[in-house]
Amino acid sequence: MDIEVKMGEIKGGRCGETLTASGVGSCLIITLFDPELKTGAMAHVMLPSRDRRRRTKDKGSLSDDLSSKAKRENNLAKEESERASNSAEAGDTKYTDTAIDEMLKRLEAQGSKRGRLEAKIVGGANMFTSFVSDIGRENVLSAKENLKEKDISIVGECVGGSQGRSVEFSVSSGIVSVKVKF
Amino acid sequence: MQNKLNEINTQAALNASTALSKLTDSPVDIEISNVEIKKVEQLSPVISPEEIVAGIYLPVTGEVKGAALLIFPKETAFTFCDLLVKREPGTTRKLTELDESALKEVGNIISGSYFTVLANTLHVKITEHIPIFSFDMFGAILGQIVSKFAQEEERVIIIEVEFYFKPKTFRGYFLLLLEMEKLEAIMGPLES
Repeated sequence: MDIEVKMGEIKGGRCGETLTASGVGSCLIITLFDPELKTGAMAHVMLPSRDRRRRTKDKGSLSDDLSSKAKRENNLAKEESERASNSAEAGDTKYTDTAIDEMLKRLEAQGSKRGRLEAKIVGGANMFTSFVSDIGRENVLSAKENLKEKDISIVGECVGGSQGRSVEFSVSSGIVSVKVKF
Repeated sequence: MQNKLNEINTQAALNASTALSKLTDSPVDIEISNVEIKKVEQLSPVISPEEIVAGIYLPVTGEVKGAALLIFPKETAFTFCDLLVKREPGTTRKLTELDESALKEVGNIISGSYFTVLANTLHVKITEHIPIFSFDMFGAILGQIVSKFAQEEERVIIIEVEFYFKPKTFRGYFLLLLEMEKLEAIMGPLES
């Protein structure tokens, strides 16, 4: 059975199922496969990090004087608890870092062991070559950093360039196929 | 202020269809199919993500920030290029640099019609930037634009426009994304 994973979504699959994503440009597809349980998950992320977006948005209001430091720390603590309580929010899975956390949580809840998970990444292109955009590249870097931090090895990748891709992940075999326009 | 927006949409559609009719020597119908205010990642257009399309991306900055995206499905793009560069019907099978320029020009005309009306009605300055072309899967092209907006803005106003060329029955798709915050500052609240 084919299960489509749309932009910003995460889906899990079992043996016999295929997780698919069509028309992937600067977005990144991250697949995690447990070869022992024959289960897996696919994330279709759009942006590198939730924190980075927050920082960009707050940039204008930050000042460095001491009086605002305490306030800032207080705000950070508030943000932290907000983030924890919002972790199930659907929007979270559009970020590379939070999507990886969420996939791990789901797979581990089903009995997967982190040490045996295999990751593959596909996408992160720049569709408009005459236009400088780092979104794709940053998605790739963020995924690599996050997976490394969590000791998950990347066993295959098809990233960068300027072509759209369609991806199929067979949860029986762990094989990920990539299709391009030509 | 919803009325003002409707007025802008109608006038822009009229201007664009007149300009396109002149360019192609055939009547063009333009239909504003959908106007919505939502988070950009909730956008769910009618074209399949894997379909190969010609996409023309036209960013605008100034007092109103946003972008326009003009989409022609592959076969429509070919038929349209036959018409624009005056080839025998059915002969375009690959897009050359000339075809790309012609399609970019169509993008300029349509987005120009819209943003001129918007700027004049709201008395604001809008700078249009040069169009950027891509020929690939629709989902991949749209995804990059959606990501760019999702990174910067919470809410955008999304205006979907379909246009039909008569008597030939081919159609194109035009998407406008406008940053809500700036637009609301000018026009007042848009949501009830």
